[in-house]
Parts: sequence; C-alpha cells; structure tokens
Amino acid sequence: MTKKTNTEDYLRMYRQMVRIRTFEDNANKLYLSAKMPGLTHMYSGEEAVAVGICEALKVTDKITSTHRGHGHCVAKGAAFREMFCELLGKEEGYCRGKGGSMHIADQSNGNLGANAIVGGSMGIATGAAFTARLLGKEDVTVCFFGDGATAQGLMYEVMNMAALWHLPVIYACENNGYSEYTRTEEIAAGSICARAEAFGIEAHQVDGQDVLAVNALTRTLVERARKGEGPFFLELMTYRYHGHHVGDINREYYRSKDEEKDWKDNRDPIIRFRSWLVEEGIAGEDEIEAMNEEIKADATAAVEYALAARYPDVSEVDMHVYTDVTHALARSPA
Amino acid sequence: MRQITLSQAVNEALAEEMRRDERVFIIGEDVAEAGTPFKVLSGLVEEFGTARVVDTPIAEPGFMGLAVGAAMTGTRPVVDLMFGDFIYLIMDQLCNQAAKTHYMSGGKLNVPLVLRTNLGATRRSAAQHSQSLHALVAHIPGLKVAMPSSAYEAKGLMKTAIRDDNPVVIFEDKLMYNDKAPVPEEEFLIPFGAANIKREGRDITLIGTSSMVQVCEAAADLLAQEGISAEVIDPRTIVPLDEATLLASARKTSRVIVVDEGHQSYGVTGEIASRINEQAFYHLDAPVLRMGAMDVPVPFSPALEDITVPTPEGVAAQARKLMAGEMIHAAE
Amino acid sequence: MPRNETSGLPPHEVIMPALGMAQDSGVIVAWHKALGEAVAADDVLFEVETDKATMEVPAGAEGFVTHIGAEAGAEVPVGEVIALIGASSDAGQGAEGSGSAPPVTAEPVPEGDNVIMPALGMAQDSGVIVAWHKAPGEQVAAGDVLFEVETDKSTMEVEAGFDGYVAALLAEAGEEAPVGETIAVIVAEKPGTPVQKSRGAVPAAKVEPTEKSPSPAPAKAKSNAPAQTSPPASRTGRILASPKARRLALEQGLDLSRLARAGHPQPYHVADLEVLRALPAASAEAAPAVSRRLTAEIPADGFADFAAWAADSAGLTDPAALLAGMAAASLGKPGAIVAVERLGATRFYVTAAGPLSGVSEAPPDAVPDLRLRDLRLSRISSLALGAEDAPVLTLTPSGGGHVVTLECAGDQLGAADAVALVSEFAGRMEQPLRHLL
Repeated sequence: MTKKTNTEDYLRMYRQMVRIRTFEDNANKLYLSAKMPGLTHMYSGEEAVAVGICEALKVTDKITSTHRGHGHCVAKGAAFREMFCELLGKEEGYCRGKGGSMHIADQSNGNLGANAIVGGSMGIATGAAFTARLLGKEDVTVCFFGDGATAQGLMYEVMNMAALWHLPVIYACENNGYSEYTRTEEIAAGSICARAEAFGIEAHQVDGQDVLAVNALTRTLVERARKGEGPFFLELMTYRYHGHHVGDINREYYRSKDEEKDWKDNRDPIIRFRSWLVEEGIAGEDEIEAMNEEIKADATAAVEYALAARYPDVSEVDMHVYTDVTHALARSPA
Repeated sequence: MRQITLSQAVNEALAEEMRRDERVFIIGEDVAEAGTPFKVLSGLVEEFGTARVVDTPIAEPGFMGLAVGAAMTGTRPVVDLMFGDFIYLIMDQLCNQAAKTHYMSGGKLNVPLVLRTNLGATRRSAAQHSQSLHALVAHIPGLKVAMPSSAYEAKGLMKTAIRDDNPVVIFEDKLMYNDKAPVPEEEFLIPFGAANIKREGRDITLIGTSSMVQVCEAAADLLAQEGISAEVIDPRTIVPLDEATLLASARKTSRVIVVDEGHQSYGVTGEIASRINEQAFYHLDAPVLRMGAMDVPVPFSPALEDITVPTPEGVAAQARKLMAGEMIHAAE
Repeated sequence: MPRNETSGLPPHEVIMPALGMAQDSGVIVAWHKALGEAVAADDVLFEVETDKATMEVPAGAEGFVTHIGAEAGAEVPVGEVIALIGASSDAGQGAEGSGSAPPVTAEPVPEGDNVIMPALGMAQDSGVIVAWHKAPGEQVAAGDVLFEVETDKSTMEVEAGFDGYVAALLAEAGEEAPVGETIAVIVAEKPGTPVQKSRGAVPAAKVEPTEKSPSPAPAKAKSNAPAQTSPPASRTGRILASPKARRLALEQGLDLSRLARAGHPQPYHVADLEVLRALPAASAEAAPAVSRRLTAEIPADGFADFAAWAADSAGLTDPAALLAGMAAASLGKPGAIVAVERLGATRFYVTAAGPLSGVSEAPPDAVPDLRLRDLRLSRISSLALGAEDAPVLTLTPSGGGHVVTLECAGDQLGAADAVALVSEFAGRMEQPLRHLL
C-alpha cells in the first residue's frame, strides 16, 4: 500500500470516523435535551475499530452489531438521515421506527442489525458465515461484540462450530475495558484471546485506537477467511468516552476522570489519524477542517429533518409481525 | 391410499423440499448418520450429504442462533431440536432473535426457519423429556406454531412450514412417530390457519391439538354410543388459529371442550376457550371447558404419569356433564 | 334444651321434621331466612333433603329468627331443634352450647339529615324504592336525584334535598317503605364507614347460612333431580341461565322469570325453554303467587307386583283404582274424589276409608280433590307444569323406580300437608303393603 494510491481510502477512513463522532455528539445532545425517546449507548472513542474493520469489507459482506452500534452502522455505510429518523422513532427510519437505537439494521449495506441482548448476535453472525459456505458465496461476516459478551456461553458454542467447519467469520471483540459498570478484569478470568485459541482459532490483539493497524490486519484476515482459512478472532483494545449509556454520568465509582482524560488527550483515534494525515501530506489542516464542518452540517441537517419527520401511522403497529400478513391483529371474519 | 408412519411422512416432506430448494438444510444433534434418536431423518444424509444434513455439537443455543443468522442471509434451515423440553435452552435465539427480527427491522429482514421438535408424555421419560411446551412459543408474536395430528398433517404442514418466510415451530408428538395414516403419493401442502373438521357433530364440539385429536375422536366414539353427537376439530396450527371454523362450530353445538396436552394453566386451552367466549358468548349453552395436562411436572412412574394427560374417558365424562347442564351449579 | 330467658312467651322451636317413611335425619340444604330476620308462619324457613326428596319447610310460627342451630349442609337427627322463632328480633337468645355468643346488633345509623319516603300520591301510604342513584359514601347535592320511587301511580325521581355525603341507605332497591320513614341519611362530612341496610334486615344479619352451598349431590341423582339441590333463584333475584338460553328467550319473547316462578330448577339451558313454552298461559299462574312443587324419588317399584297380586288374589283388576285409593289415603281424606289420568284417558274415582276394594268409579263430571297423572310409561323424566284446578301427583319413570311430583297452588294444600302427601304416597308406591297395615 502506498499512500498516494490509497489517499482516497485514508480520507474516507478519516471521514467515517468523524462522521461517527459527529453522529454521537448529536445523538447525545438529542437525548440530553429530551428529544430522543429511550436510551442510547455512545460509540465515541471506539471509531477506529468500526472504521478500520468495515473499510476492509465489501458492501456484500455482513456484520452483526451491538447495543453500542451506531459506529458499526455508520462505518458499514448507513446514512445520517435514516439513522436519526430511527433514533427518533420516525417512519423514515431504517426500521420504520420499530427498532430504535439498539436495533438499527441496514440490510442494503450488509448490516444484519444491532442487538440489545449482550452476545445475542454471535449465533447470527456465525449463521451468516454458514450461509456463505453453504451457498458458495464469498461473503465474510464480522461479529462485533464487547468484552462483556465474552462471558456469554453462546460465544463458545458458536466459536466451536465455526472452528469445526472453518466458517468465514471474524469475531471482533471491542475491549473497551468495561463490562457495563464493571471493570473487565473483574468479569473476565484469564486471557480473552486464549478463549478463541482454545478452539484452534487464530487470535490477534490489536490497538483499537489505530485505524490503520486495525484496517491492515482485518484486510489480511478477511481475504484469508474468503479462502476458507477462518474463523479469526480479534481483541481490539479501545475505550468508550461516555458511560455505559448516555445517562451514566456519575461513574467515578468504577472509572476515574483522569483515566478518561488520558485516553481522550493522548490516544484519541481521530486526533492521531488526523496528525498522521497531515504529517504524511495526505491532507492539509484546512482541507480537514472543511471536511469536519461539512460533516457537522450534514448531521445538523439530518437531525433537523428527523425532528420534523413523521411518526409511523398507528396502523403500522401490527405490520411486519409476519412476512405474509399485512396486519397481524386483523381478525378473519368469523 | 397407502399408509405411512408419521416418521416417514416427515422424512418425505424434508426430502421433497430439499430436492426442490437447495437452500433448505437440516441442522441439529445427531441428524445425519444417526437420523435422530427417533430415526425420523434416516437416509437423508445419504442423499443430501453432510453439507445439508449437519450434525452439531450438543449446543442447542449455538446451532439455533446459527440457524437464525443463516435464515436471515438466504438459506432455509430446518432446526432439529431433539426434545421439546430443550426449547428452554434456545429461548433467546428463538424468541428474542428469530421472532422479532422481521418486526424490529421494519420488515427488511426475514427469518425463514423451521424448528422441528416434539411434545408428549407417557413415554416414561420423566419431567425433562416429556413436556408439551407449544404454548410457550405460541405466546410470542412473530412465531407460527404447527401441531400435526397424524402422518398426513405432519407431511403437509412440514412442507408448508419450509416454504414459509417466517420462523415456524412444528411440534410432533413423539409417541406418534410409528402411527400410520393415509398419505397421498402425490405432492400436497396443508395451508396454515385452516382447521380440519375431523368429524361433524351436533351436540358438542371437541377441539383437540396434536395427539389430543385422537383422544377427542375416541371420546366422540364413546359419546356416540350414548346418542351424543360430538364434532371433532383439529386446528392444525395454533398460530395462526382458524378462529372462524372454531367459532362456527361453537355456535352450532353451543358446547365446547378444548383438549391439549400442554399444562392446563395459562395455556392453549385457555386461549381458545377465551376466544370462543369472547366471540360466541350468546351462542353458548354451557361454559367452555379446558382440558390440559395436569399442572405438575410430568412424573416418571407409569402409575402417576398416565393420569396427568387427558383421556378419551375423561373427555367423554366432561362432555356428559356439559350435556346435562351440570357445570354451573355454583353460578350464584 | 334452649329456653327463652327474656320473654314471657317461650320461643317457637323449629325441629328437623320427619318427612320420609324411614327417615332418622335430614340434611339442611339451605336456610331461606337469616338470623334476626322477620318471618311469617308459612314463609319457607329452610330446605331439607331426606333420602326421598328435597323439601321446603315453612317456619310454622310468626316472629323473628332468634337462633339457628345447624348450618346449611349439616345433617340433623329428626326431632332436634334447629332454630328458634321469638317474638322480638333479639337474636342469640338461648343459643345452645354457645350461650355466650354476643347478640347481633344493628349497625348504628349515623346522625345527619334524614331523607324520608315522601308522600307522592293521593292515598299512598308506602312507596317502593326502584333504584338508588347515589351510593353510600358518595357526595350529593341537594338538587341531585337520590332515588327513584314507585307509587301506585307512577315512578318518580326524588332529589336529595340536602348537600353532603350519603352516610346511610336504610332500604334496598326493590323494598317498600312506609311514607315518612327515614330511608337515607345525609351528613356534611365524608363518612368513614357509610352504612347500607335493607329494611328487612334490621338488625343487620351477619349470618347468611343460605350462601353455604350444600355438599354436591351424589351422581345417582343427576338424571332426574339434580337441580333440587340448587337454589330456586339467586339471592339477588337474578335468574341463572346460559347465555344462549337467555338470548333465545329474548329473541322469542319468552320470560325466563315464569320458569322461576313455576319452580323449575335453575340454571336454565336451551332445553328448559321447551318447558317454558309448555307452561300454562300467564292468567293461570297469575292467580296465587305461591305454588308448590315437591318431588320424591322411589328407587324401587313396588306397585307393579302389588297390582298383579291384587288382581290375582283379590280380583282388583283396575290399577287406576288402586292408585286412586292409595292417593286418597295419602291425602288423609277418605272419600276424596281422585281423577286418574292414565294412558291418555281420565277416570274419576270415589274413594273410601279402609280397603282398596272400596274404591268405585265416579261420573266424569265429578270435581276432583286430587289429580293423579300416571306417566310411568312415558319418557318424561322431570316436569313443572304449574298449579291446576286440584293438586296434581305425577308419576314419572326413573331408573328402576319412579319419581313422584306434587304440584299445587299454595291455597290448595298447606306446606305441611303437601309434604305429608308426597311422603305418604311415595312410601305407599314403594311398599304398597304398608297401605294394608
């Protein structure tokens, strides 16, 4: 890879990371100003993981996402407008307002959906990889999950099967150091990578704040997985800037402000990559600032659009329960 | 017409659908060479290979979850759950994932998956291998639930289930695998939500599911000797439920007993009874009765187990009481 | 033996009656009066079940029920005192074995503005409260309608007349109250425990033995007389009927309350509508409000053998005459004229005291003292046809035996006479030789 030929890729990676950060800043504001129903979990700080991985995937490749899933969704190609509409429960949302923040699915870009059950999508990701093998497709599936999900039994059941059958799936563990409100050391005995290695799965630990490192490793593994060398396991060392969810403000009982400041000041994936872009002469400060402003304007416009957008008609409440029944609660004439 | 066993009927349905559609595959414990402990799937792996008849580790949540993801991405899995009792193990994958995916995605994602499992007591298997848990899944919007009552239904409903784009749970009665019934050689499907009036009657309606259809028919024979004409109806699928046929019969006979092998409380019997009560109240000449399995874990001892499930004699006895108007003495 | 310690007159002792031929105890199915309730001599006080039948037993004395010694469901030996009827409503007097039981006292009527039964008609001395529009404890304004009253002329809505809260309602909807009597109390402050009473239940009855259901009837009774143990009507007066029976009655203009008045056992199903259609026209039943219907089961038929024996040995070849003689003797009225309806024909007999050979046929225009309807060869298992011109004894088949049903108007036979007639006749039918003894 030379930087000249990859300029476009690098700029797109930067743009996607900023888009995620900007999306989350707006989502946070919407929530705190009580304009957003429900609750939400911020991806801010972990952008290099989603972007580094998804930039290594094709549109037809699949991902499964988590409750902290806005970043995966943006990184896999989703648009602000439909995302904000979904967050606000509007008709034009990706799921017509039926999923919300924790259940955004964007099938057109291969996003099989966020999952509000911790570890709940590991079977789905493995099954998507099974489909590729059964139908002879090249698709690779990446299963995003957090360090907290490594405590779920399902992970071990499906990693076992994926390893037995060499399925094209990459288990991407975003280790942000906290399992909800508990330090990961307190919930995970031993090594996380060793869990996968016990099944004979090749596992890598990588700096999740370094988008280039994440991207380079993933590209290699995706290509190998396409050739039947999977599955693989990644432990991506990262950090979430917010609490477990947006309302988790007073969190000093489990995490110090100094620690948060250190990650933000010294290891921020966007700042690091921006410096690198400038140092390498790939982009100038003005160009980057202009890009940031353009993304902010995009987000502001999308938020305004979503706020003004329509809610689904109440008649939609019993639609989409079954594929072949328009309204599930309509009683047959008796 | 030729007679085949329920087991053969299921096997035929799977083979035909696998030949018709290469996206269909079977996954579960000991489904390939073993053909399951009940030998229902014997021979399929020889025709379709281990790529499409997939033996898994003993990991029900794992292979169920895998099947959900496979279904979401373009295949049509038939998940084999060896005993219905294991449904508790896969509840998250079945009820939180498979059942809700289409809805939560606003209609964008489908989960065309069949979960075939079984129910039924009196096999001396005690409380963890004898349960009839269809009510648990019938409670969950997004799932369809089929309950074949004979080899004919087992084949026709299985083929329909495989072609359905929704998650479908089929409960076969594990005591009926060797029961024979007439099944046509030529291809046929049985639509969901179409109840079968097994026998027409005048005085009382007996609604039975799965093997309880046979119990109801035997009860109807007993009642016929006494001049009581019982109508027997098999809903065939409890989700969707053919309310119209059940209500029409209730209106005709004015008396209904609902018989099902699930536990009586909070179950299928109560649901059907309630719907009849709500929609045919002014046609009822007696309260709608529920007859389910006793609300106890299924006991092992034959002496105990046999009394936990509805019997033809028990159904007939309740029917006689309804006929005699003896059910609402305490109505004051 | 309980004694009345507060009044000069001893209370009337109600005993478990001997109703059957070989009965030594009876089961109290239900009490029709509560402790403290006023009772007239011929009011039904309780229902008793013997080996033969279930019967309603009148109080036998006027006064107040001051003691109830056996709950519904209890089996009591014949002759034992089961209730006392005293001159005053002071309950608890002489309570056997539990003399320390405190007397039931009336809930105090709160102080406040009294609402009285108004005089609304020209010559009206009482009014029936059709409905209360306010509940106890509810806030009320002077101009609010408090209740509806029915006089001989019309139904009117009556305003409360006072602002405040309903502290007491002293009569129930449906009850009649004399003009001028206080029927409600309105107070200024929201009452803590508003009072609701009926006029009949002063002092408020705390024991309601009629709510206790009898033990389930044995299965053998189900085909012919299951409902004899069920209440003739619910305590609230609501008729028990299946939804379908109720709907069909409504659609076809049938009045289920006629079935109830005719004593036909509830709950009603569609099949009972046939009985309702067969009831005599309204005028016939409009006459005496009280009608009596008693049934007794005769488990084994003794009559057929007896008739054969009488024909062979005594030359008495007319079984209808035998029946007439036994019926008249059961009525305790030698010389009575008995109409026997049998095999589609009616024949009249003049009976005589003494042997059955004294029975002779009477002219067809005779006025019968008793009708005997012999339906032993029919398929009818139960009937309720209502009162006719004379008391009617009907024989219907039941298993290997028969059921004998007596129906009559209240003024044709007293309750005790009716009980005696059925008991005697059932006994004679079971063991006809008793007649000769």
